Amino acid sequence: MNREELQNRLQEIKNKVTAVEQTTDNRIYLPCEAQNAYAVSKFLFQDLACRFVIATCVDSDDCFEVLYHFSYDQLGVVITVKAFIRDRENPAIESITSFLPAAEWIEREMHDIMGIDFRNHPNLRRLILADDWPDGVYPERKQART
Amino acid sequence: MSWKIWSLKKSPWVFHVNVGACNNCDIEIVNCLTPKFDVERFGIKLVGSPRHADALLVTGVGTRQAVPRLKEVYRQTSKPCVVFLIGACPCGTGIFHNGYHVEGPVDKIIKEEDPNAIIAYVPGCPPKPEAIISGVVKALSAI
Repeated sequence: MNREELQNRLQEIKNKVTAVEQTTDNRIYLPCEAQNAYAVSKFLFQDLACRFVIATCVDSDDCFEVLYHFSYDQLGVVITVKAFIRDRENPAIESITSFLPAAEWIEREMHDIMGIDFRNHPNLRRLILADDWPDGVYPERKQART
Repeated sequence: MSWKIWSLKKSPWVFHVNVGACNNCDIEIVNCLTPKFDVERFGIKLVGSPRHADALLVTGVGTRQAVPRLKEVYRQTSKPCVVFLIGACPCGTGIFHNGYHVEGPVDKIIKEEDPNAIIAYVPGCPPKPEAIISGVVKALSAI
């Protein structure tokens, strides 16, 4: 599959994403709402056979962003699913571990330090914070850092 | 010089404690024990229990999770003992200063447990094996 064909395949999910942003030759962003991130990630992983690299989380001003990074190794293209969680009080998103067990620990880490609730995660226990860390304090949120 | 200090300086056995290091200082400590530097020729031996040790080699910044464990290890070390802080992190928390998980620097934690503890500092990120050996020699000649 070349780059054009990859772009055409990505059009299949264009009703689930708000845009297909290609910033450089080898970087594609798929911004979407939180409820669509599961389907978009599943499409990348199962239909396009992308490799899951890592997931990251950003505390933006008006929302939380959970970013799932996938790599399409044949072309060296990194595709990022950028899920916006608008509810800042109870941020929640569907876990992708049902088809991608490798995401289990990074989702636990994001739950620890950002307080994102991953629905249907098999084991959302504390991963990296200390045992005596108080519940409900999320150290990497902007609020906590000021 | 009391016989306790004399015997401490004769052949210091060390116990290695990692309280949140990135592993780089730990590698340099292991490097000291490999044939190139071979500190065992000076009688410095790595042991598996703090109860056998005369000195603690502490690496890492001193994380919240590690603080009670470090204090427990210090309590179990036979006294008198020397605490060597290996690297920039235990000496002064380094780049992790003010991190949310940082309770260090380690000398503060050790002094909470024992205000009269003998503490030696080997800064560096990581310190060279030569620096670690030099630090041990200087600390033992000072006490």
